[in-house]
Amino acid sequence: MSKNKINITEEVMLKINKGVVKMKPKWMFVVGTIAMILGLVGAYILSSFLVSIISFSLRNHGPMREYRLQELLASFPFWAVGLAIVGLVLGIILLRKFEFSYKKNFWFIILAFIAAIIISGWLADYFGIEKIWSKQGKMHRLYQQYGGNRNKVLPWKSKGGYVIEREIGRMRKNGYNGY
Amino acid sequence: MKNLVNLLDEEVVNLVREENVEYFAELISRYQDKLLRYSGNILNDDQKAQDAVQESFIKAFINLNSFNVNKKFSSWIYRIVHNETMNLISKYKKQIALDENVDIENGINIEEEMIKKEMIEHTCSCLRQLPNIYAEPLALYYLEDKKYEEISFILRLPIGTIGTRINRAKILMKKICQKIK
Repeated sequence: MSKNKINITEEVMLKINKGVVKMKPKWMFVVGTIAMILGLVGAYILSSFLVSIISFSLRNHGPMREYRLQELLASFPFWAVGLAIVGLVLGIILLRKFEFSYKKNFWFIILAFIAAIIISGWLADYFGIEKIWSKQGKMHRLYQQYGGNRNKVLPWKSKGGYVIEREIGRMRKNGYNGY
Repeated sequence: MKNLVNLLDEEVVNLVREENVEYFAELISRYQDKLLRYSGNILNDDQKAQDAVQESFIKAFINLNSFNVNKKFSSWIYRIVHNETMNLISKYKKQIALDENVDIENGINIEEEMIKKEMIEHTCSCLRQLPNIYAEPLALYYLEDKKYEEISFILRLPIGTIGTRINRAKILMKKICQKIK
């Protein structure tokens, strides 16, 4: 054992003295901790926002939605589900790095994290926070796209629809009555 | 060079950070035997244990600024060795090679030495047969004299789980030892 003792001390100290092994500066750990906290908060907000989009998309199909399953599936934001899962996984990975995580049952922490995301996403939708988002810029487009019939651009009012309408008008002008 | 013998580990860490990196040798000499024994018990290979401990000290030095001096250095270094040992286990897929090279010293009490060695070997072989999740807390509690809180920090498990695992490990150990006899 004493032989090992000399070897380990010597080898480690040799690497330190040669500069092969260097101590990382303190600021790196401070930046790392801040990035970890921001990452966790970011993953939480992103996942909550995506849950609110999913909830909004489901809610907007109204009372007859069982008859419009295909429409629901066609406009359902599956990408949001995928991204929400990615956000969740990232959040869980980051949670593991915090010191408090091992003191409690980690499964309990994961479940609490998932529940918090779902509840806050649903609350955002329930209290109409998405209405504020849905009126602004890129968010407006997102909510319009996944908001079901209420926000959908009607086909006869679409760009293509106007062209058809114009053509029918021109044909009627020329005496065409449909027969 | 200062006399570091009477200083606490955490005080030595502060000196390494702020004054002289050479003081890190003191920390190595304080812990290497214990860490070699701990890692060796899990890996069942002295050479690999040595690699794990050496690599752990290098990692500890690199990340020394992340260590919180209000906490125990011993728990922190054990945690690093634990991680490194686990990495080696997954790397080598736990190749169990029983080391039977018993180096008997010349002397009058050869028989006594042999009995003692046999007992140690017997206990170690029982410990080696335990699954890692039980062997680790048991080794830390009985061989390394660690408290539940420290074991909890080292293994990153709740204190309740540590208690349960140690109790189960004792029952398993008893069964395994009786079987081997």
